[in-house]
Amino acid sequence: MKAVWAWLKSHYPLLVVGVTFCWSAVAIVSYRKQAVPPGVTTVLRIGHWQLEAGVREAFNQLAAEYRKLHPEVWIVQDAIPESTYGQWMTTQLMGGTAPDILEVGIGVPYNVLLGFYNRYFMPLTAYVNQPNPYNAGTDFEGEAWRKTYKDGMRNGYIEELQEFMLIPLAQFGVRIFYNKTLLKKLTGLEKPPREFREFLTACETIRKQKDERGRAYVPITASAYHAAQWDTYMCAPLTFRAVRLVDFNRDGLVGTDELFVGLKTGRIDFDYPPFEARFRMLRHLTDQFQSGFTGLGRDEAVFLFAQQRAVFITTGTWDAGSLEEQAKGVFELGIMDFPFPTAADPEFGAVVEGQRFERPASSFSFALTRTCKNPEVALDFLRFLSSRRNNEELNRIIGWIPAIRGTRMSLLMSAFEPHLEGVYSTMNTTLGGETIIKWQQVFTLFQIGQIDYAELVRDFKPFYLGKGTAELDEILRNRIRGMVRDEQFLAGYRAKVLAATGAERTSREIKYHQLMTARLVVRDLGAALIRKRLAEGESSTATAPYAFSPAVIEKVRARMGMERKDGDRL
Amino acid sequence: MTNSNRAFGLLLLAPLLVTGCQVARAPDPEKRIAAGWVRFSQGDFTLALAEFESALAALPKPSPARVQALYGLATTWNLRRPGEEPDRAARLYREVVDAAPADDLAAWSLLALARMPLLAPGAAVKPPEAAALDQAYQAVIDRFPFHEAGEQAFLLQQAARLTISRPEQARSALAALDEFLKTHPKTSYASGAWRLIAHACQVLNLPERRLEAVLKEWQTTERDPVNPGQELALTYWNIATIAEFEVGDFGVAREYYRKLIREYPAEQRVFLAKQELKRMDELEARLRAEPGTGAP
Repeated sequence: MKAVWAWLKSHYPLLVVGVTFCWSAVAIVSYRKQAVPPGVTTVLRIGHWQLEAGVREAFNQLAAEYRKLHPEVWIVQDAIPESTYGQWMTTQLMGGTAPDILEVGIGVPYNVLLGFYNRYFMPLTAYVNQPNPYNAGTDFEGEAWRKTYKDGMRNGYIEELQEFMLIPLAQFGVRIFYNKTLLKKLTGLEKPPREFREFLTACETIRKQKDERGRAYVPITASAYHAAQWDTYMCAPLTFRAVRLVDFNRDGLVGTDELFVGLKTGRIDFDYPPFEARFRMLRHLTDQFQSGFTGLGRDEAVFLFAQQRAVFITTGTWDAGSLEEQAKGVFELGIMDFPFPTAADPEFGAVVEGQRFERPASSFSFALTRTCKNPEVALDFLRFLSSRRNNEELNRIIGWIPAIRGTRMSLLMSAFEPHLEGVYSTMNTTLGGETIIKWQQVFTLFQIGQIDYAELVRDFKPFYLGKGTAELDEILRNRIRGMVRDEQFLAGYRAKVLAATGAERTSREIKYHQLMTARLVVRDLGAALIRKRLAEGESSTATAPYAFSPAVIEKVRARMGMERKDGDRL
Repeated sequence: MTNSNRAFGLLLLAPLLVTGCQVARAPDPEKRIAAGWVRFSQGDFTLALAEFESALAALPKPSPARVQALYGLATTWNLRRPGEEPDRAARLYREVVDAAPADDLAAWSLLALARMPLLAPGAAVKPPEAAALDQAYQAVIDRFPFHEAGEQAFLLQQAARLTISRPEQARSALAALDEFLKTHPKTSYASGAWRLIAHACQVLNLPERRLEAVLKEWQTTERDPVNPGQELALTYWNIATIAEFEVGDFGVAREYYRKLIREYPAEQRVFLAKQELKRMDELEARLRAEPGTGAP
């Protein structure tokens, strides 16, 4: 007995290691074998972080449907909390024990994720250009899988790798959620206000009323997070018109460098009416928020809404399920679009050109791991989930927006239909560290009503114009510093070209030529023109990028004359 | 140490010994080189170096594979961050050029040597001398005029001239690019060359030639058989806006705005494209209504 005890004592650490190893091995094996029915030859594992009500049920239901077609396949979910997803995913990938299909998008910084894509996930480009067999018999038959997406599967494409790596399954959007019951009680409105002025009137009416405990109702509940959404979706798009003045490279967008050069050279100023309008509208909105909103967290704002002390809150599809749950049996929940000023609006009519453009972007994206033992089956299951019928069903169960064209969604979700045509913001003042911080300071003071727009401009403009040139130079220097990454990528890509054969080689060669041109040959040309524009300084005779110069008008006139003569001859 | 501990130690060492033997048993240099490039692409530069070095060690005599291993090593020492060793990289690139002066990799090595000053840590603050860079590119062009590396060197040389944004530089680049397209009718970089021509024309304020160049750029863009749906929205947009605002050719402008709207209905610029179609109609209506134009 003594000898046994002595042996145990001297081998204690080894025994602990051994027992722990055995226990974990048994645990893993038993977990993987759990509830697998007889006849199953392939077990597919899916890892994701969606613990919201409905997601796991939706996967289970669709997996059951899939099994009707493929009884030999069994699908197991690993639903991991969002807070630990990054660590879990990293460990699983590095250990070679990752699920076959993984949701990707949170938990690790983007540059690390790029490395993960390279090492641990399979490129899907060749597959997404083939038809999805589960769309057979529909008008998608024969159409490339990616083309069946509302956004052309744009978010599945990883620009840095020049490959499709992800299969998205849902879309997301932001709208205003409102308490229908309270809106009717306080304003008498049966329908939500669609027009900005009406919306403001409704907010004012709400603000004047008190609940049974004598507390004033809050028209809009917000936090710093929500305030940014109101600005993004309603106010910033009012600045769209500046595109015609400072989009110097005429690519349809206003870069931060272009805005700076426009302001520095006097082609535009902070008192430009659409810029002022953005801030006036923001003031109208922040006046309707509860006091101290900038110090509140997201959940605290939601709490006020759930308590029925506020009528409106802005958030995305991701919160729809939980808000619906909180409202159940207490009040009727509605979702409305952002109210939009009409051309007749006395304050904003002159600057408003249209609704905000919303890029339909799919998310809830899954990738195939390289350790997947049955990649063809995993891919087939993703095709199944993203066929028109099944994607509609998946999202119907969860309460999200389908990613596939021609799918139907619930009436509540239909408010999230994106505006495919519209205006967008042109007023992005972020250049470098110092101006960003300065902007954040003055913008926060504006939001809480401590300064007005004129004061904001008085404080910010000299600082921005003074520091901006140095910061713009630094941006350009950073572009040069970043060139080595492009060189690395292109050297690696050229090796891939040489290793490929047949059609794949041709495809890769073409991509290589295009990447080489875009990333190295022409990379500095745009920046050179911006520098030139800055060096030229103020030029009162220069034509704005989207204006017809007298010379062009003359050319049009001459061309019209020629066409007329051609017409006469005919 | 007790016997059992010794046995346990051996048990732990066994897998290492087996793995070690496996490493020693797999010296196929070509596979090593291929593995080195995979490691390089994945950003595992230390492992890439190990693969290339191991291949090199297995290839003591001059051979194409040895040159490949040397090139892999040179590229990794040149482009790895952190831990780059430009001097060592330059020495290895030169070794490639000396060992196989007519080889593909000699061309790529010369181009890499030309571009190395641009990648130096201080290049962002103090860029390399424009004349020296120009000469280095010229050395690649002279030695490999019809090799892909030579063509890249040529385009990079013209792009460097164009970033100066001076008319004399732009004129010289434009002439050189015109000549290049004549002497290199089968180049894979025709589209890139047209793009540079368009830029030179912008600097020189030659709108009609610029429009012609952007149209040629689009027409000569290689079409990828595996990825037929290449993004052309910005290309259409460029053609349309140059035609509208610089050339006054509303026919071409309308054609390409409409292509954008039809082929990319969810594109951000669609709203602006529709506005431009309307503005052109309005301008034409206004011009037609001018006295003396014979408007009906």
